[in-house]
This record gives sequence, C-alpha cells and structure tokens, in this order.
Amino acid sequence: MTSTAPGVPASDARDDAALVTASVAGSRDAFDAIVERHRRTVYQVCYRFANNHEDASDLSQEAFLRAWRGLHGFKSQSALSTWLYRIAVNVCLNRVSAKTLAVETIESADRFEDTRIEGAQAALLREERGAAVRKAIAGLPKKQRATLILRAYHELSHQQIADILGSSVGAVKANFFHALANLKRILDSRP
Amino acid sequence: MNHLTSDELIDAMEGTLDATRRSHLDTCGECRLAMADVSVVLREARQVEVPEPSPLYWPHFSERVRAAIDADAPASAAWGRWLRWPVLAPLGALALLVLAFNLSVLEPTVAPETLNEGAGGDVAFVADGWGLVADMVGAIDWATARETGLIVEPGAADRAALELSPEEQRELTRLLRVELQRSQS
Repeated sequence: MTSTAPGVPASDARDDAALVTASVAGSRDAFDAIVERHRRTVYQVCYRFANNHEDASDLSQEAFLRAWRGLHGFKSQSALSTWLYRIAVNVCLNRVSAKTLAVETIESADRFEDTRIEGAQAALLREERGAAVRKAIAGLPKKQRATLILRAYHELSHQQIADILGSSVGAVKANFFHALANLKRILDSRP
Repeated sequence: MNHLTSDELIDAMEGTLDATRRSHLDTCGECRLAMADVSVVLREARQVEVPEPSPLYWPHFSERVRAAIDADAPASAAWGRWLRWPVLAPLGALALLVLAFNLSVLEPTVAPETLNEGAGGDVAFVADGWGLVADMVGAIDWATARETGLIVEPGAADRAALELSPEEQRELTRLLRVELQRSQS
C-alpha cells in the first residue's frame, strides 16, 4: 500500500522517492534535501515530546542520523514522512525516558515569539497556558503522548499511528482518549 | 445499554461512531459529557503551537546533521578495523612462529642426516630449535603480548603453542621439521 502523509502532495511523495533513491546511491545532496524538507516536522514531533528546544534539536539530529544509516532499508510502500515519524517517535521514546529533560521556561520559550501584535498581558496569559499544556503533554505516559502528538498535531490516521507504535487501532484510540482525559485532569488541577 | 468505551468515545468525537452506538450517545448524558470533555481539551491542545526557532536555526541544524553523518562514517570504519584485529593478531603470531621454525631448521649447526631420525633422534637439535622460538616469541609475556595488540585469546592455537610441555614442544618441532623437509624436497 502506498500512502502519503497528510499535507504532503503526491508530487512531493514522488520527489521523496527520487531523493531516497539518490541518497541510497550515496548522494549527500539528496539527503540534505530530505533533511531540509522534513526537518521542521521532525523537530516539532521532538519538541512536543521534550518540551524544550535544546533536547528537541538533539533528538531531531539523532532521528536524521538514524534515517541516514537506515535509508537502504526504507520500504517505499510507506511515505517517507511516515517512516521519519516512526524514527523520530522511537528516538523520543527511547531518549526522553532515559533522561530528565529540561522543561523550557516561559521566558526562554517565548524568545522566538513576536508578541508585538498583541497586548503584552494577553500574550503572556496565552503563552502561560500554552506552556502549561505543553508541559502537561510532556508529562503524559509515553504511548499516550506519542498518540496525542501524532493524532492532534500531525493528523496521522489511527492506522498510521498503530503502524508506527506497533499496536492496534483500538489501542491507539484508547490511548488517545486516555491522553486527552489525563490532559484535562492535569490542566484542571493547576492552581 | 453499556456506556461507550474509550475508543468508541473517540469515534463519536471524530464522527465515525456506528449508528447503533450513536443512538446510545443520544440518550446517555454521561457519555455525552465524557465526549464533550475530551473534545474541549483537544481543541485547546491543538491551539498550542511549538515555538518557532529563529530562521537562522534551520541552516545550522542541517549543518549539524551533515557533521553528525560525517563523524559517523569514520567511526564505522574504525569499528571495522577493530573487528579485524582479533583475526589478524593470532594469524600474525602464528606467522611469527612459523618464521622462527624456518630459521631454526636452516641453522648451519643442524646436520642434514638428523632430519630423518624421528621424534627422539636429536634432543639437542630440538632443544636448540625450540630455544630459537623461545628467544623470538617466548620472551614476550602474556601481558606484553596483550598490550602490544598481539592478543591471543584463550583456546587459540598460538596460546597453546606458548604453553606446550617439553614433550609437546619436541613433537611440534618434529612435525614442523617433517613438513618443511617435505616441502623442500
């Protein structure tokens, strides 16, 4: 079955296949193009897991390094983006649990935000709530976190998530529900 | 009727719940509340975006990936080299042994007629031959051999040669001498 990740046009998928072929043949330029095309998505997955820029950056780099090493084993039946999701999620699941990740403070997180277009107070409240949600997500059990991130933010189908996590569609849906229920409980318990 | 399960609540939220179970949702306030709760928190979560790094970050990131791949390649090559050492070191040691025996047999003190006398024929010759081997190889103790990379793992032929009893040394010398003589004839 050939599947294309949501938001990736079929022409891009064809381009991905050509880039993969060239990369497997040893073209570093082709792999650079893959990195350039998918780095933002991979970074965002990693950031949702780690909840800070430095770890997200390290995790993303590790994901692409593993992709380079394993590119010859990539099966073109699935989309490259789905394969990269799988690698990124696995890197995150392994590494995020192995160390205590720094949780980025609101002050450091908002250095990338341009808040001039909004009132300072409203922006601060919004960012504070956003930081609370990100922190709550980062504190969810691993599979619930992975499911929520892939479903809510990257709009992968339940089947794609099941393939990535090696579980059933029913388990993915159950994890998604419990992730949301836990998220609500954590956010409601905030002072 | 049973309440909706967690995966059915997700189906209900996403509008894919089958008609039979949807009829339960229409009449069950508890299930409707549960579905509404997760819908609200999902909507809020979706509004939270990942802080966008500086535009300068992305070229830097690509550069980091390139550097990591470059650094990974020599590491793999080095691993390959280490992988060959356990094979090459014992072979090297074995070659040294054979060379030593070659030199001992070609010594001018050895009379050609003694070559056919069998294992017990010339103890002095055997002792001399083994002495040369011992001079070249036996002087290297185990720790030194290991430190210098001539790692001879337990059970390897090289180690066995270094630890032979005098009788075994004589027999090995005899066998090698016979083999050399045959190859020269």
